[in-house]
Amino acid sequence: MMAKQIRRRDVLRGTAGFGAAMLLSKLAGCAPAETDSATADPTPQANSAANGEPIKIGLVAALTGSSALSGEAITRGLTVAIDEVNRNGGVLGGRPLELVSRDDESTPAKGVAAARELIEQEQVAVVFGGLDSPVSLAMLPVIHELQTPYMGVWAAATGITRNDFDPNYAFRVSANDNIVDRFLMKHIKETYSDISKVGLLLINNPWGESNQIGFEEWAPEYDLNIVGIEKFNDAETDISPQLSRLKDAGAEALLLVANAAPAAQAIKSLARLNWDVPVVSHWGVSGGRFPELAGQAAADKVVFVQTYSFYGEQGKKGKQVLADLKETFNLSGPSEILAPVGTANAYDALHLTALALETAASTEGPKLREAFLNLPTYEGLIKTYEQPFTPDNHDALNENDYVLVQWKENEIVPVES
Amino acid sequence: MGVRLWVQAGLMVGAIAAASLAPNTYYLFNLGLIAVTTLVGVGLNILVGLSGQVSIGHAGFLAIGAYVSSLLMLKADWNFWPALGLATLAASLAGAALAAPTQRVKGPYLAMVTIAFGIIVEQVLIEWVPLTGGFGGLSGIPQPAPTLRGTVIIVSVLAILAVVGFGYLKRCAWGQAFLAVRDDAIAAAALGLHPAKIRVVAFGLSAGLTGLAGGFFAAVIGFVSPDSFTFQRSILFLLVVILGGLGAAEGPLVGAIVLVLLPELLNDFAEYQLLFFGTLLLLTLWLVPNGVMSFLTRYRRSPQPVYPLDVPPEMPALVARRQTYDSLKVEQVSIQFGGVRAVEQVSLEAKPGTITAVIGPNGAGKTTLLNLISGFYQPQHGEVKLGDRSLNQLSSSDIAAAGISRTFQATRLFNSLSVLENLRIAHQGRQLTSGVDTFKGRSSLQTPDFLELLAFVGYSGDIQAQAANLSFVDRRLVEIARALATEPQVLLLDEPAAGLSKGDKERLATLLRRIASGGLKVILIEHDMDVVMSISDTVIVLDSGRLIAAGPPAAVQRDPLVLEAYLGCEGAANSDTRRDRQIQSVPLLEVNGLSAGYGELQVLRDISLSVNPGELVAVIGANGAGKTTLLKTLVGLIPAKSGTVAFMGKLLQQPSHEMAHSGIVLVPEGRQVFTELSVQDNLRLGAFSRKDDRIKADIDQMLTRFPRLRQRQHQRAGLLSGGEQQMLAIARGLMARPQLLLLDEPSLGLAPKLVDELYQTLADLRDEGVTLLLVDQMAATALAIADRAYLLETGLIKRSGSAASMRQDPAVAQIYLGH
Amino acid sequence: MWPQLVISGIAIGSLYGLVALGFQMTFAVSKTMNFSQGASVMLGAVLCYVLNITWGWPLIVAVGLAAIACVGFGLLVERLAVRPFAKAGSNAWLLTTIAVGIVVENLAMLTFGKEVRAYPSVLAEVPLRIWGIGIYPLELVIPVAGLAIALLVRLIFTRSLLGKALQAVSEDHETAQLMGIAVESMIAFSYGASTLLAGLAGMLIAPITNVAATMGTLLGLKAFATAIIGGLDNPWGVMVAGILYGLVEAIAVGLLGGSYREIVGFAVVIVALALKPGGIFGRQQVNKV
Repeated sequence: MMAKQIRRRDVLRGTAGFGAAMLLSKLAGCAPAETDSATADPTPQANSAANGEPIKIGLVAALTGSSALSGEAITRGLTVAIDEVNRNGGVLGGRPLELVSRDDESTPAKGVAAARELIEQEQVAVVFGGLDSPVSLAMLPVIHELQTPYMGVWAAATGITRNDFDPNYAFRVSANDNIVDRFLMKHIKETYSDISKVGLLLINNPWGESNQIGFEEWAPEYDLNIVGIEKFNDAETDISPQLSRLKDAGAEALLLVANAAPAAQAIKSLARLNWDVPVVSHWGVSGGRFPELAGQAAADKVVFVQTYSFYGEQGKKGKQVLADLKETFNLSGPSEILAPVGTANAYDALHLTALALETAASTEGPKLREAFLNLPTYEGLIKTYEQPFTPDNHDALNENDYVLVQWKENEIVPVES
Repeated sequence: MGVRLWVQAGLMVGAIAAASLAPNTYYLFNLGLIAVTTLVGVGLNILVGLSGQVSIGHAGFLAIGAYVSSLLMLKADWNFWPALGLATLAASLAGAALAAPTQRVKGPYLAMVTIAFGIIVEQVLIEWVPLTGGFGGLSGIPQPAPTLRGTVIIVSVLAILAVVGFGYLKRCAWGQAFLAVRDDAIAAAALGLHPAKIRVVAFGLSAGLTGLAGGFFAAVIGFVSPDSFTFQRSILFLLVVILGGLGAAEGPLVGAIVLVLLPELLNDFAEYQLLFFGTLLLLTLWLVPNGVMSFLTRYRRSPQPVYPLDVPPEMPALVARRQTYDSLKVEQVSIQFGGVRAVEQVSLEAKPGTITAVIGPNGAGKTTLLNLISGFYQPQHGEVKLGDRSLNQLSSSDIAAAGISRTFQATRLFNSLSVLENLRIAHQGRQLTSGVDTFKGRSSLQTPDFLELLAFVGYSGDIQAQAANLSFVDRRLVEIARALATEPQVLLLDEPAAGLSKGDKERLATLLRRIASGGLKVILIEHDMDVVMSISDTVIVLDSGRLIAAGPPAAVQRDPLVLEAYLGCEGAANSDTRRDRQIQSVPLLEVNGLSAGYGELQVLRDISLSVNPGELVAVIGANGAGKTTLLKTLVGLIPAKSGTVAFMGKLLQQPSHEMAHSGIVLVPEGRQVFTELSVQDNLRLGAFSRKDDRIKADIDQMLTRFPRLRQRQHQRAGLLSGGEQQMLAIARGLMARPQLLLLDEPSLGLAPKLVDELYQTLADLRDEGVTLLLVDQMAATALAIADRAYLLETGLIKRSGSAASMRQDPAVAQIYLGH
Repeated sequence: MWPQLVISGIAIGSLYGLVALGFQMTFAVSKTMNFSQGASVMLGAVLCYVLNITWGWPLIVAVGLAAIACVGFGLLVERLAVRPFAKAGSNAWLLTTIAVGIVVENLAMLTFGKEVRAYPSVLAEVPLRIWGIGIYPLELVIPVAGLAIALLVRLIFTRSLLGKALQAVSEDHETAQLMGIAVESMIAFSYGASTLLAGLAGMLIAPITNVAATMGTLLGLKAFATAIIGGLDNPWGVMVAGILYGLVEAIAVGLLGGSYREIVGFAVVIVALALKPGGIFGRQQVNKV
């Protein structure tokens, strides 16, 4: 009994000691070595051309939990872009960029805490956002209170960039759900001229909700009648009741908003009902496993939107980024990119941020904000950016930057139209 | 007490200082979260730590508080504080609404209910978009103070107040009631507390505090959405309380600090966070199951002991105060369970100032009778009256309020409370839930009154000692004192003298006499005949649920029916059938200096006996003598404290499940057949320890030997009658082909004719050469077929010798029925 | 729509029942439960996937090895997370097994990855057309397989000596010891068996739900609910409760829409327990004093 007690006490003392040491070191500002999940070799070769005090770039995204894939995708895009910037000499006279990531666990409370910490403790110049719109929305007051720019690369809720804050510190290189919804509906109208009834099949989460609003807003413009709105959950395996209801309501085309796994279940359920109906989807199905999960034949029928695709003929920039991704993360091909949306958006967004830093010649928030509104032209991955942000529009991408694509045997190819 | 106050003041100052000096909003934010988490933790601590009900759905109450207050402020333009008040009330009502209908749900079932509740709340928040904003949630929530710093200061102060308040709650009547109900709901009910109501109040209080935290949660973050109120969040709250220490006031604060700051420290290891938390939970439960606070309070000096009065009073005022001239009348009460008539048409009258003893062999229905009087069971026929007032249909709490108090066969003290607190809650408890009328005319007792009471019963230890740490005797005394603390008119005692030493029994007897002389009606179940005969005014004898004798002690002692009920009769299995044979004198079983018991209770003291091969040895003795304990110790179900047992020359040290293989088989008390399995399966299991191939043949043999079993071969054993089950139990025991068969009270609960049959079987077995060690209350019946016998009394062997000589010995009858 | 719903409901319900049987088994024998059953479901599916699909081993081998691993997991959980607490009379096994589940799920995320992978199976590729609705052959196989496994378990329980010994232990630990039954080993065995059942359920459902590190949590929770409302002392009650739960969920989705699945399901749980605290098919407890 004695021996056990002593052992217990020792373990507790040890743990307490360790904990105290960590706490002290953290408070004193000497944080343990940063690891973000994807940086291969942080110091030596990446900074060979840039040395000087690093400028920190903050990322608040889902690094754990069910959306963890998105966090990793964004991190990859940022990492490749940062490495490139640093290879070319960094910014502000040779200062390298450094990525500091925090997990928001897809909850607003955590996201807000993380944003505060990054800005006030880590002194990041810019905070990059993640997948979850509620988290980004919750962060807005903090962003504006502490006057540090926010750069969204995925969360597509309209209210993030179109907010009531003045001056507005929120920028985004990503789709805006509202614009995507309009784009998709326009496509239906133009491609299938005799269709007037559409059904909405939406994942039951904030993203689905946001798109519901968008679809409902733009439907009248394109003479489309929404005959049914059905929601389904992430883990559901049989979506046929929802689809049956849409079919019974007379839907002639389906608008789908869901990520790869649940979308695959929806497509498989379509096969069950033997219902051959055009399916137009948001970018959720661009995840590399979609054909694997839904079955090749079915997957090929879904038409969806992308800001960028790593498949097919790549431009010069695309080839270079693809090569970097392959090398840094040991990928064998585009199918392993996880989520091209996040990666591509993040890549371009980071470069725009680097440009803003250079333009502002400072890391101060208000100056950066001004710089974002006055960026020089940048030939990026997704497109060439000329005046990407204006006082009225903080979204760098619009519907002209979207492309409609579909799967074809494990590759994403543009839709011939 | 002084130290505590300083610590609390220090915490308050510390909290305000931390909030005022925080250098930036990041620190403020974390402080705010710590404060909110502490509030939730305190709420959960009330529920889990004090009231013992586990909830894994508290995020639901947090959500209710957050959303209600936010909606009132955003949509109805309420001010922060009234909105917060209503939100707290809403959460509290939700908690009570959840707890009330599910009161009968316990343990894992209750955990499921709370999980389901939490998930439902989360889903409703998601679905009810027009009201709650769905996933988008509500933003722009107003704060109580103009800056974040102000808000954080307010909520930090509240958090410390909650921590301090918990300490007070724990010591006040309600907190004590929560603890009492948690420790022993049955005893609590018997003292007049309503366990169901008390649990619901605990739930409502806990939920309300969590709702309050929710209001501040919304204010600190400025934004609420369903993502913050998941099942995982509920688990985290539980971890906060457990890490800090269940029931410790400062525990939630410690837990909150660790669980809010640790993720921040681990920011760079985000992917490993949940892994870390899971491991932390495991480590906590393994190493410090009582939480961090228990670790810290180890160094606190324990308070000075306080002792009851040196000179005990003759009769404490509170004992004699309420007495009336009413009698307790039990009129022809009956109750049956399943097909068994546990109590059948029993009547008695207990007059004020008298002691009525209820005696009878095991299984006679004595405790059931007591349970009928105290309200634990409702009589199916007949009536229990106190004076003119009928007590039928009243719950045990109500009957306690009416003036009936009891003790239990296995002492039921509130183990986590001190001696004084046990008494105090007994006295105060009823006032909490029984309504206004009990306030009138009830005095409020103070500590000196309790000291008097404790001295009166003979307790001389520290009144602040925790009940769990008391010695066996002291537990008994305190239980009696506690029963008296409710100022009863009727005192029911269930085997108060069991396990006591001779001296203690004498003192107990004196005590009971004094209590009765105060005017109470005392009814007691007791096996010790000396005690019973010396103090009782009336003795009633029960056998198999019926009243077979009633009257003054001397008359009952001589009543032949009573003698027969206890000792049995010689029966048909008599010495004629016994053949003389050579008894080898190398013992099969040799026991030397064996002592054993349960925890503190020493039942067997220095037992030595032996059993030779081929013998049938009987161990007889009154109830409570230690016979069952002896057999259980022999097979290893109870560890021996000292002494040795040698079997076939070798020391017996195996674990109990290897005994059968070694050759010793116990046929347990109460038969204990496997009721869900068939007769055949029971037999097959009896041979579980055998690996040979003669098992099937043996089963067949058993069925031949016991033809009634063959008839019921495939029936479930639970459907067999008592006698048949006994046969089955013996057959099952024999299936293991034991060298030594131990039988524990095989005649228990069997009708005389069946007992005859049974003993004939045992005699036959003996004749066939099976060695038997038989334990039975029915001395005469057992002695009729035994070769030798031992007489056990209060854990000691008083007599031993050949069965013939024991049969003549008058001491045997005296042991049973007193002098 | 309705025939479709009913069949899927029965399919998923029989899996709830199978996993719930694991809960019931350990509770009957030891009055404790393994709250990481959901993780066992995931383990079975993930291990089978890795062995069969990633490494290309034959299906039989993969299933066999994954099954063995699941049994091992169950034995570990019992030894480390349950026995120390149950022996001391504490309820902490509730939390330790939850913690184990969290740890295992996160380890899987770190090793297997966060992606959802499809488990290709001939039985889940092309839907059959029966009565005008599309049903995957696997969805018909699952209830049959599930019930067959449950039946097998019951047979073992009632016919074999080991099963009878387990029943004896469920009734009375002490007397079982007297028979020569090593109660501790029986408890360990029950844990191994319960995680095996969960792992098999995971392997059965993988082609339909796809394989992911997080696939087990919600299923485990619902299986627990099933075990509770079925009554923890009644194995048939648990299977029936599972199928009923699956049907209730399907009906809720059919009538009200996908979002109401959990709300209705769990509300039914609360109501069922309020009405019958020991479970719908549970036996009455008699209190003794």
